[in-house]
Amino acid sequence: MLGTRRISTSRWWHKKKNWLFFAIFLFLVFVRISKGAFYKDFYYFISKPFWPGQFQKEIIIKSIDQESLIKLNLLKKDNIRLREILSLQQSSDNDSILAAVISRKTGGWWRQIILNKGSKDGVEIGSTVTGPGGLLGRVNNTSLFTSSVTLLTSPESKLGVWVDRSQINGLLVGSGDNYPNLILYSKDADIKVGDFVSSSPASSLLPPNIPIGIIQSIDETLQSKKTAKISLLAKPQVIDWVQILKVNI
Amino acid sequence: MSFVFIPIAFLWHPNWLGFLGVQPYWPLFWLLPWSMINGSINGLLFGLFLGLILDSLTLDNNFSQIPGLILCGFLFGRIKLQSDILVGHFRYGLICSFGSFLCGTLYLLQILFRNFSESNSLMFISGVKNILAEVFLTGFFAPFICSQLLRMFKFSRKKF
Repeated sequence: MLGTRRISTSRWWHKKKNWLFFAIFLFLVFVRISKGAFYKDFYYFISKPFWPGQFQKEIIIKSIDQESLIKLNLLKKDNIRLREILSLQQSSDNDSILAAVISRKTGGWWRQIILNKGSKDGVEIGSTVTGPGGLLGRVNNTSLFTSSVTLLTSPESKLGVWVDRSQINGLLVGSGDNYPNLILYSKDADIKVGDFVSSSPASSLLPPNIPIGIIQSIDETLQSKKTAKISLLAKPQVIDWVQILKVNI
Repeated sequence: MSFVFIPIAFLWHPNWLGFLGVQPYWPLFWLLPWSMINGSINGLLFGLFLGLILDSLTLDNNFSQIPGLILCGFLFGRIKLQSDILVGHFRYGLICSFGSFLCGTLYLLQILFRNFSESNSLMFISGVKNILAEVFLTGFFAPFICSQLLRMFKFSRKKF
């Protein structure tokens, strides 16, 4: 009796089928906890061939582009007509030079880019430089083949800007980081986070209405003025091609 | 001859080599071995030359790199050559970090002095960030570059 041991095959863990059920149960618990993420991802892969195709996407993008172009042309005509009535400066988009960025110092102390077009190509000191997104800076120096641009983020840069919503003029001063400061010399100036900032129509340095950036944060601790940090629309650290607008404002 | 390549390296400024958008302070990599071999007066003089060239490449007319580079050139000239290669390697990193800190601080002081106003603290914060990033990167790359340049200068000196 002492040497015998009870060997039973009737225990549930000795059956393969039970383990299978247990595995399915665990899988369902996992599905429940993950809120069906597994299924959604699985669906993503199996439904991929049936998504709206590239062709359809192109048609939609083309239609949107055409719509935007028509709207832009209408607004442009309106703008020119109204500027003529108000005797304001005209922006001149026709006289621009396309240039590549050949040296870039966008972090640290020095914030400048060097372009592959110089005085030989008609670039003049003071010309406005724009890139995808909007204003980048102004040409500060030219050589025969290159031109150096002071970026808006440079502590040397000071420009008159226009807050579009509240229609007030301010001064944009580079602060040595990627977010220049907008200074408004009035404590009661009406600005909000998200306001759009463009070049000032009153500025004698820049053509009017060039997009610059969006107000990111406002500092109201100063007594006599209001300052705000601006998030620039054009990112000089990634832009390879820019446009130099000739100075004839 | 290698002097000519410093402004090129300074302008090169590749994004992938940067840290927080800041690059190593290239002129110190050349100035340290040069001053160590040729002495304080020579280092001071070439610090001035480097400062003049680099100032002409940057558009900031109000601030200058010359004071920092002159001081570094002079101090680097007083450092004795170390016979132990490994200690030497680490020493280059530390010395260049110190030099970069010195140059950065002098530059920041100029900016703060020039833009002395209520919003000074904003410039101070970004300036300190620049200095720290530059010190780290310069110290990191110095052992690789300085020892090679030192070997090159020694070799060319023996030749003449």
